Amino acid sequence: MSRWIRSGIRVVAPIAAAFILGFVLFASAGYDIGEVINGLWQGALAAPGSAEQSLRWAIPLSVISFGIVITLRTGEFNIGAQGQILLGGFGAVSVALLLPDWSPYLVIPLALLFGIIFGALWSAIAGFLKVWFNADEVINTLMLNFIAALLIQWVTTGPLKDDATRGETASTPRVDQTFRLSDGAGVSIELIAIVLIAAALAWIIIERSPFGLKSKLVGSSPRVAAWQGLQIKRIHITTYLLTGAFAGLAGALEVLGPSARLVTGATPTLGFTAIVVAIVGTLRVPGALLAALFFGGLQAAILYLPIVSRLPSSGLRIIEGLVALLITAQFVWLRRRHNRRREL
Amino acid sequence: MEQFVVTTIRLSAPLIFAGLGGLFSVRAGVFHIGIEGLMLAGAFVTVGFGSATGSVWLGIAGAIAVNMLLSFVYWLLIDRFKADMIITGLGLTTLCVGGSAFLMNALFNKRGSMTSAVRLPQPVVGPQEGLLAYVSELSLLAWLLPIFVFIVWLILRRSRLGLQIAAVGEYPYAAEAAGVDISRTKLVAMLVTGLCCALAGAELSVGGLAAFSENMTNGRGFIALAAILFGSLEPIRTTLAGLFFGLANAVGINSQIYGGESNIPRQFILMIPFVATMVFVTLRGALSQRRISPGG
Repeated sequence: MSRWIRSGIRVVAPIAAAFILGFVLFASAGYDIGEVINGLWQGALAAPGSAEQSLRWAIPLSVISFGIVITLRTGEFNIGAQGQILLGGFGAVSVALLLPDWSPYLVIPLALLFGIIFGALWSAIAGFLKVWFNADEVINTLMLNFIAALLIQWVTTGPLKDDATRGETASTPRVDQTFRLSDGAGVSIELIAIVLIAAALAWIIIERSPFGLKSKLVGSSPRVAAWQGLQIKRIHITTYLLTGAFAGLAGALEVLGPSARLVTGATPTLGFTAIVVAIVGTLRVPGALLAALFFGGLQAAILYLPIVSRLPSSGLRIIEGLVALLITAQFVWLRRRHNRRREL
Repeated sequence: MEQFVVTTIRLSAPLIFAGLGGLFSVRAGVFHIGIEGLMLAGAFVTVGFGSATGSVWLGIAGAIAVNMLLSFVYWLLIDRFKADMIITGLGLTTLCVGGSAFLMNALFNKRGSMTSAVRLPQPVVGPQEGLLAYVSELSLLAWLLPIFVFIVWLILRRSRLGLQIAAVGEYPYAAEAAGVDISRTKLVAMLVTGLCCALAGAELSVGGLAAFSENMTNGRGFIALAAILFGSLEPIRTTLAGLFFGLANAVGINSQIYGGESNIPRQFILMIPFVATMVFVTLRGALSQRRISPGG
């Protein structure tokens, strides 16, 4: 029980600190904090339709974060979820647009599958480069994010361009209405069911499968894992494929759900937020689900706040950055002091 | 042709400032992914504080002060509180992306971008045509680049501090046994990184265009990090890698302007620096199997 309380404090304290620091900044910049807090409350839960908006963002965040939980447990810093989401969306939208006359019962599973495959393969690029050539995965996944963004820009202004759209945001044509998993609000029984299935699969992979056990060993003590004769390279590749698969699924859900099409520059910060979600969720699936609900609410409020309190959406970006800054720090004052005395 | 060379130098200069600055941290064993954010903070504070005070030098001084403060906080978190350096570095970058956009809005009431009231002097004011006309586009910081590279080389390769930084990064236990204060050496290295990233941001924002826009670094900090890796953590080779990335970028921009008849879509040419970075990181990894690991 005390373990639960301690890990709870370890998660809640940095988040509270981030909010307090953010509010101090907002107040000194001349914003009315009461208004901001009210806007957060309204935008995340209280205003009509806002709880639905929170859930709408919790759906992709949770699915992406399952993959990130897997990668971080293995000790690999695959921070390329952003690109993998876009590729997943690309895979799904391609299927839906190429097969407009097929039955939805075939197209929807196929589109989800292609989203998963595209995301997994995009992630596997960095994985293979790491395993074969020892290429740094942090840099490579970051670069793949930029490349994916440009690739999607090309797709939406070139081969899959929607001639009806005007102005600056290029996009593909809308997918057929029968292929959609939800309306524009982005919450439906189908989507929630898929999230729960993904959560169950992720939980089984992490907590109940041989792979989960092995990957945890590789992450916590690679040398012991090598002595045990584990095939570390295969475990790493599987990790990259799984991480990309979850992110790709999230991208496919966006395209078949709320957005109905692939848009240039869509959801540019979802991949980063999902990393924070995974860590706040203490690298466990149930924790990630809870954290996704929290950050989904924050995301919904980001879009709502500028309307009610004039606070620009970048204000909540600051809070997100502060959470990421503080969340892995170990503020164990007492133990540190104890250690220092022993050193003396 | 002359213009192409000058464009390359202008695009490389921020990468080299940030790359050589980051080199201090990376050599000390800190895989400093917050460089991207520090560059952006440097660009914003230079424009913001410079415009407010009317002096580009005060702007740069302010940028250096802010970046050193941010670097100190980053050091506090990863060294004193054992935070994960990659996640914390990403957080630092997000904080700077959000913070610069927020403050631009709150202090200057601008959204998206703002023009700068000040800019770096361009020391060579030559004739309107020929080579000198292009060279005159180079800012003072770009002209000072060779001296900067030499100073960094001198510190890292020929000074006691440089030796201590390398020892802390390569053999921390040996360094500690030899009486080097690991924490303090890392702090010094990270403060230098912050200072150099302020210069990189200043060159980016007031070196040519004299403007700041949201997220204007757009991955340059990450490319600078890649230049460090490809430069095998050596100052001269990092500089050359920075020049090469600038060249790749210049090729992309040039073909955008002049490549009217080519069939290659613009986006693929803009990908060149990112793809080149991946190729180099991979080559570098393959050539030396030594892993520069987070936490190493």
